[in-house]
Amino acid sequence: ASVIQRLFVFGLCLSASSSAFCLQLSVFSSSWRRKISPWCCTPKETSGWKIDPSRSQDLMRFCCRCTLLESVGQTVHYWQHGRIADFVVTKPMVLGHEASGRVVKVGSAVKHLKVGDRVAIEPGVPREMDEFFKNGRYNLSPTIFFCATPPDNGNLCRYYTHSANFCYKLPDNVTFEEGALIEPLSVGIHACRRAGVTLGSTVLICGAGPIGLVCLLVAKAMGASKVVITDLSSERLTMAKELGADFQLTVKRGDVPQQLAKTVEDMLGTQPQITIECTGVESSIQTGIYATHAGGVVVLVGLGNEMATIPLINAAVREVDIRGVFRYCNTWPMAIAMLASGKVNVKPLVTHRFPLEQAVQAFETTRQGLGIKVMLKCDQNDQKP
Amino acid sequence: MFRSKSAWFSGSVSQACQNFWISEGGIIACWRKADYLFSEDATCPDTLRIFESKDYLWNRVVVFHCLFLSTCEKRQSVKSVSIGHYVLPPASVQDEVRNVVGRFIWECEDEQSVAQASPESFRCQTEDERSEGEISRKYSKPSDTNSSESKEPLCGPLWDYPTSNMLTGYISMDNLQKYSGDLRDFHPSSLSSALCLQLIMAQENLSVVLHSKGDLRLENRPVPEPGPNEVLLQMHSVGICGSDVHYWQHGRIADFVVTKPMVLGHEASGRVVKVGSAVKHLKVGDRVAIEPGVPREMDEFFKNGRYNLSPTIFFCATPPDNGNLCRYYTHSANFCYKLPDNVTFEEGALIEPLSVGIHACRRAGVTLGSTVLICGAGPIGLVCLLVAKAMGASKVVITDLSSERLTMAKELGADFQLTVKRGDVPQQLAKTVEDMLGTQPQITIECTGVESSIQTGIYATHAGGVVVLVGLGNEMATIPLINAAVREVDIRGVFRYCNTWPMAIAMLASGKVNVKPLVTHRFPLEQAVQAFETTRQGLGIKVMLKCDQNDQKP
Repeated sequence: ASVIQRLFVFGLCLSASSSAFCLQLSVFSSSWRRKISPWCCTPKETSGWKIDPSRSQDLMRFCCRCTLLESVGQTVHYWQHGRIADFVVTKPMVLGHEASGRVVKVGSAVKHLKVGDRVAIEPGVPREMDEFFKNGRYNLSPTIFFCATPPDNGNLCRYYTHSANFCYKLPDNVTFEEGALIEPLSVGIHACRRAGVTLGSTVLICGAGPIGLVCLLVAKAMGASKVVITDLSSERLTMAKELGADFQLTVKRGDVPQQLAKTVEDMLGTQPQITIECTGVESSIQTGIYATHAGGVVVLVGLGNEMATIPLINAAVREVDIRGVFRYCNTWPMAIAMLASGKVNVKPLVTHRFPLEQAVQAFETTRQGLGIKVMLKCDQNDQKP
Repeated sequence: MFRSKSAWFSGSVSQACQNFWISEGGIIACWRKADYLFSEDATCPDTLRIFESKDYLWNRVVVFHCLFLSTCEKRQSVKSVSIGHYVLPPASVQDEVRNVVGRFIWECEDEQSVAQASPESFRCQTEDERSEGEISRKYSKPSDTNSSESKEPLCGPLWDYPTSNMLTGYISMDNLQKYSGDLRDFHPSSLSSALCLQLIMAQENLSVVLHSKGDLRLENRPVPEPGPNEVLLQMHSVGICGSDVHYWQHGRIADFVVTKPMVLGHEASGRVVKVGSAVKHLKVGDRVAIEPGVPREMDEFFKNGRYNLSPTIFFCATPPDNGNLCRYYTHSANFCYKLPDNVTFEEGALIEPLSVGIHACRRAGVTLGSTVLICGAGPIGLVCLLVAKAMGASKVVITDLSSERLTMAKELGADFQLTVKRGDVPQQLAKTVEDMLGTQPQITIECTGVESSIQTGIYATHAGGVVVLVGLGNEMATIPLINAAVREVDIRGVFRYCNTWPMAIAMLASGKVNVKPLVTHRFPLEQAVQAFETTRQGLGIKVMLKCDQNDQKP
């Protein structure tokens, strides 16, 4: 309970004029319709569930009992800015991509799932078997379908169809909400993999927002011996400590990167082999580069400005690699295993819950930077975690 | 005659000789302890063993031809027989000695023939005549022979040695201790064998020394002595690197500052002339290429195989460590690699820049079928090109400001060449590269260090690919970091190299890579300043300095 009262500041979606605000809801009952917000676009009235013919052959349709989780950065950003980089909202788009639900109908070619199965949804589904897909890096496939990235619709609704190959059955001891949290957890898994975190690693994580926290959870689960985490907010760092951070460093704007790097080294007793940069702030990236041990890796998860000024030679002559991450690939099975075995506990990350009808309030909560993860409950008959 | 002297006889020596020795009071002993070692044939196995022994390399023993004894027997005197003429060099250097001294004394046709007086004639004088000449010349010791004969010129330039305090070669038996030093007049400095080391030590070790920014001097330094795990090398070919020129012009590179005189040079090959006591895999005469970076401690970097990152590493010509642009230089034997016979000294010296290319291509993950963009067609861009093609890259695009450099790149195997100019827009260049190749390159190796070029490399590289930064530019660089990050284009720097010499030697020996076209200028060591000036002006590709006065060949 105390977690909910904490205030957190989020990096990406700060003050901005709201531009194209689009939220399309699939509506199934008139009583629900009465609760639609005035900004809503044309509600669709159906008696059953909606089939999108553009989906692939083995689509499966979802029941409306979706438990949904709003991604702090992306979804609210689309809401506020109408775009992220080159992805622009030009027509109405359903939001939401951190989701889990229950199977209510199965396509004719689907074999591994049946009605009633509880699944987590991987939002990124490649559309073609290109070289990226064949090489196992389908996250980079240019034509990939991705929930809630224009023009693809998300799953913040009651009923949703998705490729069955990208729905993963949840074990009985993994809750729906944990299933929805697999999506942000996947960001952490992919980042730690790209960084090469392993047994004995020393890791610096810049930023203790949701992404920094999932990176922390995964890094410790992968065997990192010592993790330092930094943030502007000492409250966020307290949560990080509860989740397993070995050292916490409160930073402030205007801190000199080289000095921060030295402080990190003094705290750890050595320079970290790996830095996972989760803020996207230029000075933080600089700190990460200065701080990292020669021969190590800086992974950029946070996204900042297009052009960044960084101490490139310092990284180059010490062979400190700089690697970005784009979403994730091949993470759901690992995440499910980690959750089922209890190796990772993501439950503390959920701080707010709203029924789907109160979506706008939920967005507002997230936009204000309250809590860590705001959960939308899409099943009217089952609002449990 | 030989009372209380001990000798060892090779199996090649006739029994008559040995009997003579014994009859004159001499003792037979094992070769390590004997005062004299006699052999008739330098290729005889027991003699070979001596030549390869450490005692021989350290000048503790000398082998003589047994003709000495025959001559002593004939003359019934030892004092008149100058033993110095009878030194038997190892078979491998006999040609060199012959080049200098003419035929060996035991190779003369007939001991009794008298050489006709002729200043131009190149014949051997008999031992009798020679000894008479010597006696009348220098020593006033009583001689057993007549001294009436005229002085005949000896064969070869025996009398024309450069050292002014040269003796005639006569060594009194009384003075025969470990006499290698006294034999120096028969072994002029051109002989790169162990026998002439004493002369070497007395001579110069001409070195190219940077005293401070702009102050480059040629000066003599002492010849160093190799430690137990080191070898002493006679330097042969040393290339000039841009970093040497940078130190010369600026006195520093980043945090490495020249605060005291420093010998330059780190792209080198040479010949082993002396071997430390613990060295097993190298011997005198071996031709080697030198890896300039030698870690000083077995730290975590070294243990993990990335010793190039070791902070305390020794590195030739990086302050305060001295380089090898000199005549004689000692180096850790573990970082000297034997060159096969079909690899020239200059190719050996070029292994250093080639290593930069190998390390860069490894860090980039170049493999069979790779598509590569190389920014910059200077020496580093060219070695990266050679290595990338050798590693199996299917298509390589190379860019440069200069179309001449690109022509050379094309000769060395580049598939596409792109002339760029200052002010070109990086994204547009990236597009042009993609159009040329038909696809975006998986790998970019950036060799210029110029910010706009790094940007081009990032924009150009295929998602999931790698940009390797070899060229060094400004400390802070502004780059499209997000573009790289969201496309998972990795950015990796390189610092020197590690574990590249064996691969480079294999590539050169097999002919898979031809680096010979890279050498465009050669200068003898004495003209080092000119050589540096040539490099500074950006002329040619690789300027080579030749440090062996007697061997200026590639």
